[in-house]
Amino acid sequence: MSLVARHLEADGIPTVIMGCAKDIVEYCGVPRFLFSDFPLGNSAGRPFDVESQALTLELALRVLESAPAARTTVQSPLRWKDDASWKLDFSNLDRMTPEQLAERRREFDEIKAVARGKREQS
Amino acid sequence: MDFAPEHDVPIPYLQRTRDYYLRLGYDNPYQWAHFAEVPFAPLRVPLARARVALISTAAPFQPGAGDQGPGAPYNAAAKFYRVYSESSEGTPDVRISHVGYDRVHTEARDPHSWFPLAQLQRAVKMGRIGALTPRFYGAPTNRSQRVTLQTDAPELLRRCREDGADVAVLVPS
Repeated sequence: MSLVARHLEADGIPTVIMGCAKDIVEYCGVPRFLFSDFPLGNSAGRPFDVESQALTLELALRVLESAPAARTTVQSPLRWKDDASWKLDFSNLDRMTPEQLAERRREFDEIKAVARGKREQS
Repeated sequence: MDFAPEHDVPIPYLQRTRDYYLRLGYDNPYQWAHFAEVPFAPLRVPLARARVALISTAAPFQPGAGDQGPGAPYNAAAKFYRVYSESSEGTPDVRISHVGYDRVHTEARDPHSWFPLAQLQRAVKMGRIGALTPRFYGAPTNRSQRVTLQTDAPELLRRCREDGADVAVLVPS
C-alpha cells in the first residue's frame, strides 16, 4: 500500500495511509501516515466502536490537510487496551513451542501453494 | 517515576517477521520496500471541496472461496491479484481473511474497523469532505513489488484519475 501511496503522490494526488504497522510503512517512506497502535486488522478504528472509527478518520483527514512535509506520521491517541502485553504475541518465537513452529511451517507452505495456484489463474 | 513498560511500543514487525520466517526455515528473508526519497504533493483543494478516493486491501466476499470470516484462518483462496473497483454507495461486503492480520487479538467481526467507507460517507454528509469518488478501489496484496509498482499502482492511479479524485485515503488491512 505504501508503494501505491508513493505512486499517486508522485503524480500529484495527495495521500494519507491509515495503518497499524508503523515500522513497515515508515521503512518504505510515505508522504502522510496516521498510525493506530492497534493489532493488525484495525486500521480504521476499534471494532464496534463508532466513536473510535470517526476519530480515526478525522485524524487521517487532519494529517492530509496539515502535514508540512513528507514522512509525516501522527499517532492516534487511542489505546487498544490499558495493558500493552498483547503486543508481545504477534509472531513471537519466544512464545511458541517447537510443535507450534512445525505446525506454522506446514500451514505456511500450504498457504503459499494455494496463493500460487490462485495467482496463476488470474 | 512511573514509566510505561519497555514492550509498550509499536510492534517491531520487520524484526519480528524476519526472525519468525528464518526460524521456520525460510532462509531468504522478505526484502521490504525502502526508499530514501519520498514524494510529496501539497493539498490544492480544501477537503470540504475535495473528491476523496478510498483504496483498500480488503477483498470482496467470494462465495465458494472458503471461510472468509469473521475469525477465519488465513485464506489464500480469497486473495485477489487484479485491481478492482466497486460502487462507493451502500455497504459492500469486504473481508480480510486473505491477509495476515493479528488473529490472536482481533477476529475481523466489524468491517468498519478496516474499511472506513461508512465514516467517509458520513464525512460527505457533514460537509467535512466534498464527495467520494463514485467507486472505491481494491489493491492486491501482492508479494511481488515489481507487479505492485509496474501494474497495480499505475492501474489504481488511472482509475483515481478517471474518477476525478483530488486526494486518496489508503487503508491497508
